[in-house]
Amino acid sequence: MAKTLMIVDDSATMRKIIMRTVRMSGLQFDRTEEAGNGNEALEKLGANPVDIMLCDINMPEMNGTELVKKIREMDSCKNTKIVMVSTESSQELINGVIADGANGFITKPFTPEKFQEKLSPFMN
Amino acid sequence: MIDELCLNDALLAGAKEIFETMIFMDLEESTDPEQKMEEDTLLGSITFTGTLEGCLTICCSSSCAKTIALNMLGMDSTEEINGEDINDAIGEVTNLVMGSVKSRLADSVGNLEVSIPTVVRGRKLENSLGDGANKVLVKVNIEDEFAAELSLLYRENPEQHSN
Ligand SMILES: [Mg+2]
Repeated sequence: MAKTLMIVDDSATMRKIIMRTVRMSGLQFDRTEEAGNGNEALEKLGANPVDIMLCDINMPEMNGTELVKKIREMDSCKNTKIVMVSTESSQELINGVIADGANGFITKPFTPEKFQEKLSPFMN
Repeated sequence: MIDELCLNDALLAGAKEIFETMIFMDLEESTDPEQKMEEDTLLGSITFTGTLEGCLTICCSSSCAKTIALNMLGMDSTEEINGEDINDAIGEVTNLVMGSVKSRLADSVGNLEVSIPTVVRGRKLENSLGDGANKVLVKVNIEDEFAAELSLLYRENPEQHSN
């Protein structure tokens, strides 16, 4: 079944890099959206929930961990798989955000293979 | 107490990793200690706090910054790119290098909280931490074509303990 994706990162450059890396990983999405901050992501998700969300952590105003908590309060997004994509790599932080409701974690820098490995379980 | 050599190595190794894997450009420590920067430069900086506090900066010429941005975006060298996109790219490079340096230092200094990166255009731009600040400066060459400088301005924070 066709899947939808949202990329949330405060850097437009990073959103493009993630988009390209997803394409290189061979994973195919029916619709891909972008958001440059947490509020924009919540607004877009409210209108159109997605299957998979790739989410930065270090963002101004609302960071990725706060965003995950907010999304997990939304009924319409209860099936959305959230995979964090961050330069952060401490196990403590990873465990924390998974406990808050994220479904996976990819550390920057990343490779197409990493996206394939972490996202393919959510593609069926 | 962390020594300068350790920070120097983490900074260089972190930058090399990011340039190789995310920007597809070669970065090497300069063999010329007198290496000078061009007049027109961009400075990306990001601050950190923890048992060490300070700021990591990346300084490069405008033409180098443009090439970095084009590479990150997978664009051709003939394509046009605006200043805002270049700034965004340099900010993200700074963020990525900080992330890589931070994970290399995790065992020796513990976790560091990192800010959002900022980018300014100009020359001789430096953050000052005042008394007790140390500075590690690494001069590098990117693709044997551009001179750039990486720096870590830092001081130990006695109120915080490594965990
Ligand atoms: Mg970010």
